[in-house]
This record gives sequence, structure tokens and C-alpha cells, in this order.
Amino acid sequence: MKRQLSVLSVIAVLLFPLYAYAGAPLNAVEVHVNKVLDVLRDPALKGESGKKAKKEKIRSISEKMFDYTELSRRTLGQDWKKLNPSQQKEFTELYRTLLEDAYADKIVNYKDEKVIFGKENPLTEKTMEVQTTIVTKKADIPINYRVILKEGAWRVYDVVIEGVSLINNYRSQFREILANKSPEVLLDTLRKKVGKA
Amino acid sequence: MKLISTFFILSALLLISAQTFAVSSSPDQETLSVQKQHEDAPLPEQTSKEMKETEQKNSDVEEDVTEEGEEETVKIADPIYPWNKAMYHFNDKFYFWLLKPVSKGYSSVVPEDIRLAVSNFFSNLTTPIRFVSNLLQLKMKNAGNELIRFAYNSTAGVGGLADVAKKDLDIKRHDEDLGQTLGSYGIGHGFYIVWPLLGPSSVRDTAGKIGDILLDPVSYVNPTETAVGIAAYDRVNETSFHIGDYEDWKKSVVNPYVSMRNAYIQHRKKKVEE
Repeated sequence: MKRQLSVLSVIAVLLFPLYAYAGAPLNAVEVHVNKVLDVLRDPALKGESGKKAKKEKIRSISEKMFDYTELSRRTLGQDWKKLNPSQQKEFTELYRTLLEDAYADKIVNYKDEKVIFGKENPLTEKTMEVQTTIVTKKADIPINYRVILKEGAWRVYDVVIEGVSLINNYRSQFREILANKSPEVLLDTLRKKVGKA
Repeated sequence: MKLISTFFILSALLLISAQTFAVSSSPDQETLSVQKQHEDAPLPEQTSKEMKETEQKNSDVEEDVTEEGEEETVKIADPIYPWNKAMYHFNDKFYFWLLKPVSKGYSSVVPEDIRLAVSNFFSNLTTPIRFVSNLLQLKMKNAGNELIRFAYNSTAGVGGLADVAKKDLDIKRHDEDLGQTLGSYGIGHGFYIVWPLLGPSSVRDTAGKIGDILLDPVSYVNPTETAVGIAAYDRVNETSFHIGDYEDWKKSVVNPYVSMRNAYIQHRKKKVEE
């Protein structure tokens, strides 16, 4: 009996780091999402005037939540090599602004919907998918965050909403441009888009 | 009975023609790329014609992100691209000029709770579509759940106005349609079609949609104008929950046509898989 207990406790101790590891990606996403929710629910930032302040705060949270370099690289995929380093840098910046604006615009209209955190699914050694659901009065919307472990932190490199991967969708759009046009045209398209938005 | 057999014959014909069409369209795409190689260096400003060719050629030919190989390929042929693009623009105008104003006016007058009840009501009516689709995919538990939902929501939910099955019994709707059913049999999309008013689809999903319409009780309301009117009302009601979504999405994309096409096939792929 005693021996079985000690065997069990050894196993438990060995398994503990695994358990803690499994919780980290979900934790990382949860922390950031909750921060965003706090900003959205902040009574001091109500109404139209509060919207601008909300967007600013959300932008700074998303900077820590997302790995924009990884996001950019994976979006362009094979085409990433077509850009020289300075173009890659500018692309990452423009793409990030585009996404942050889109995300902030969308989410600022939030009205007390609930966010439920679900499972974590391992994808590869370094990446995982954290499943969340947004419960609105109308429907339950599945939103999955794909996160990658870099320098000890889990950050988001893709968001999959109702089965539609963000980077996959943008890849189709950028590829259409890069197929026959130079990276400069892509950058110019993005500059105009972001300048306008 | 006659209707059902007509449907099957029609969809079989559509699917066969779609597969041949999709296959024969690939040589066209190859010839285009050969021609391009003989051209001079690409102009900095692409003419609209060139842009159309590239959009057609690069109909979402995705490649794996090779480091990890976790990215999947989604692709669909787009041989009737000019029609699709025109229909995309038509639908865009339809939304801004007609559907959105009507829906906005409607939602300012009708409170959200009532609109939700209406949505539940119509959803309850389309149980046959979900029931049959789940059955044909051998998803027996889900099919059974749809029956339970229908019975419970129609009674305790007062004619389907309230989704009490979800609240009390924790049985959620299992969204299946015949297009997904065909997909689960391994039938591919064929090619991309954008229908006026109805939006993005494919040959397979159109065939499925025809079947869905035949299973929808609203379709059998006489006279036909009333049936169409009811469907239009359902559409206006549904849109009232999503005003602003389309605009936000448009602001966030660089190429709306390509983005919509890509999102459609990604979404349908996920629906088929789940």
C-alpha cells in the first residue's frame, strides 16, 4: 500500500509540470481577453467619446496578445521571401494597423456578451489552439485563437472565427496581388487602405 | 414524390456538369499563365482586365506553410468569374440600397426580443432540413435531437417562438443542410457561384439549397408571392441582428470579392467536417 502511494506520488509530481504547461496557452489568451472585456465594460468610458479611449486601450492590449511578426510571416507564406527586410518590416506594421483597426472597430460595439473559454488543442510542438465561444442572444459564435510559444510566452498568430482562419483569408487576398505585381504595389495598397480607414 | 425525383435528377445533372466544367477550366487557367510569361514586364498599374485574369487564375490556390505543415489548402475553381463579380456588386448594392435600410427601419420599430422570437419561429420550421440532412449523414443522435427540439419548442416554446429546448433541455440546434450532406459524401464544390440576392454558393451547395427549399414548409405556401414575401421577411429579420457586420468586414479587407470567396469555402469546409 505504502509503495503504491509513493509510486503514485512520484507519477503525480512528474505529471505536474505537464499539467501546468497545458494550462498556460489558455491562461495567456484568457488574461488578454479579460483585459479587453474590462476595457469594454468600463463605465467611465461609455458612449461615443469613450469609444476612442477604448480603442486605444484595446490596441495596446492586442500588441501584447498578438505576435504580429509570426502573423505576417504565416499570412504571406511562400511570398514572404519576395519582400526584402525593410518591406517585411513595413508590411508587418501596415498589416498590424489594419487588423487592430478592424478588431477594435468590431469589438467596441460589444454589449455584455459572455465569453466562454473551452479546450486547448495541441497543433504542433510549439503551437496550440485555444477554443472560446461568444454567447450572444442570437447564437453561439466559436472563436479559436491559435497561439505559438516564443521566448517563454504564448501569443496569438491566428484567429479562427466560425471555421474561417484570418491569416488564410488574408493570404488569399495578398497572394492575388503578389502573383503578378511587385511587393511595392502590395505595400502601397495597404498604405492607402490604412490611411483611409 | 414527383418533386423529389425531379430534384434528384436535377442535382445529379448539375453535379456532373459541374465536375466536367471544373476539370475543363484548368487548361484555360494554364494557357493564361503561359500567355503572361510572353508579356513585357508587368506594368506598375494593372489594368482592370489583367486584374480579372489574376483573380480568376489565383482562385485561392493556397499552399501549406511548410515549416509546420499545419495550414490547410482551400481552393475552389472560379470559371464564371465575370458573372460572379457582377453578382457580388449587385448584392453589395442590394444590401446598402434595400436590405439594410429596410432592416434598420424594422429593427428600430420591433424590439429585439420579438425579433428573436420570429427568428426562433422560422428556425423551428426548417427542422425538416436539419432532420433529413442529419439522417442522410447517419448522425442519428443529432437527427433525434432535432425531433425532440421541434416537439418541445413547438409545445413548451409556443409554436417555436422560444428556444426552450436549448434553455431547459440543453439540446442545441445542429445546423446541417443538404449541401453539407453532399459534401460529407465526398462531393466537391464544383465551382464557385454567386447568386443575386442569395449570395455566395457553389454548384454542390446550390443543388443542396434546391433540396432545402423543397424541405422548407414555407415554400409550399400558396400563392407563391406570399411564400416569397415570407422568405423576404425572414431575411429582413435575420439581417436586423447583423447590421454593421458587413460594413466592418468590408473595412477590414483589401479585396472583398476574394475574401468572401475564401471565407465561404473555409466556412463550408468546417461545417462539413463537424
